[in-house]
Amino acid sequence: METRSPSYHQSQADKLSPRELERYDRQIRFLGLGVEGQLKLKKAKVLVVGVGGLGSAATLYLASAGVGLLRIVDDGDVELSNLNRQILYGTSDLGKPKVEVAARRLKELNPEVEIEAIRERLMEGNSGDLLSGVDLAIDCLDNFRARFILNDACVERGKPLIHGAIYGIEGRLMTIIPGKGPCLRCLIPREPAEQGRIPVLGPLPGVVGSLEALEAIKIITGLGEPAIGKLIVIDGMDLSFHAVEVRRNPGCPVCGGK
Amino acid sequence: MKITVKTFATLREIFGGTGMLYLELPEGSTIEDLLKKLEEQYGSRLDISRLVGENSNVKVLVNGREITYLDGLRTKLRDGDSVAFIPPVAGG
Repeated sequence: METRSPSYHQSQADKLSPRELERYDRQIRFLGLGVEGQLKLKKAKVLVVGVGGLGSAATLYLASAGVGLLRIVDDGDVELSNLNRQILYGTSDLGKPKVEVAARRLKELNPEVEIEAIRERLMEGNSGDLLSGVDLAIDCLDNFRARFILNDACVERGKPLIHGAIYGIEGRLMTIIPGKGPCLRCLIPREPAEQGRIPVLGPLPGVVGSLEALEAIKIITGLGEPAIGKLIVIDGMDLSFHAVEVRRNPGCPVCGGK
Repeated sequence: MKITVKTFATLREIFGGTGMLYLELPEGSTIEDLLKKLEEQYGSRLDISRLVGENSNVKVLVNGREITYLDGLRTKLRDGDSVAFIPPVAGG
């Protein structure tokens, strides 16, 4: 299913309308972003894989920031046990496809952005199509296997990937720029056992998903320094943030030679 | 000397509570010695090879630096050092 906004196509890609200038006023005022940065956001196309806990926060912030196109991918339906953390959805959405509800919600939040809702599971076979035409990808997945598929596809195509993950009261984030820093396989060399029904306190995916959106905005606008080669470990237990150095593995089967 | 050990995620669940352990080790001890001590004290709860074995993805840090970039298992510990065991996590 695809939801395209007519207003987006009518608006000009290289200009901001008075309504856009007002909508984005507070971030345009931010030194380092400005109208120029806002236009970069407007032209940007971002793939978000997974619209669960991480994807809820990430897409809400990217849509409100005015990212031109969000391609959201998830094959799940809204379940009651999602609602402690997946803030895109409400009780009346139970049983509905997540990407459809998400697309509607995000369009309502910001009609200026285009949402492509794709009700699929990321696999080796469709990873190339999903990445086609986007500037970067955001990992909002909930298992290792799919994360490795996304990582491998991004490295192969040279697309930046923002990795996020959570467990319990903890979060992780690392930005992967192929050729410039380590990839997910450098960080996690051996495929770990999957973790099943993962315990999670709702604010954690909120924090990590928000930071993923921030990293995306930084990459798109050239602002600051993305967390390349730096695993951010967030521990809600004592509210500590650690930046752990991660180096490229020269023998990495995925990015070693690239 | 006193060493603080902090465990994360699935490891925290094994050790319970906040996942913090406070160990007393002889001067000059290394990460390998620390693992032996953990084995003695907690071996019934945790297969220590999960932390540093060949199939481990756990990041072992001494004062925030990964031991791979120090002296590996032979990394020397000092009084007051903080050691962290950080496994990968999959949730989203």
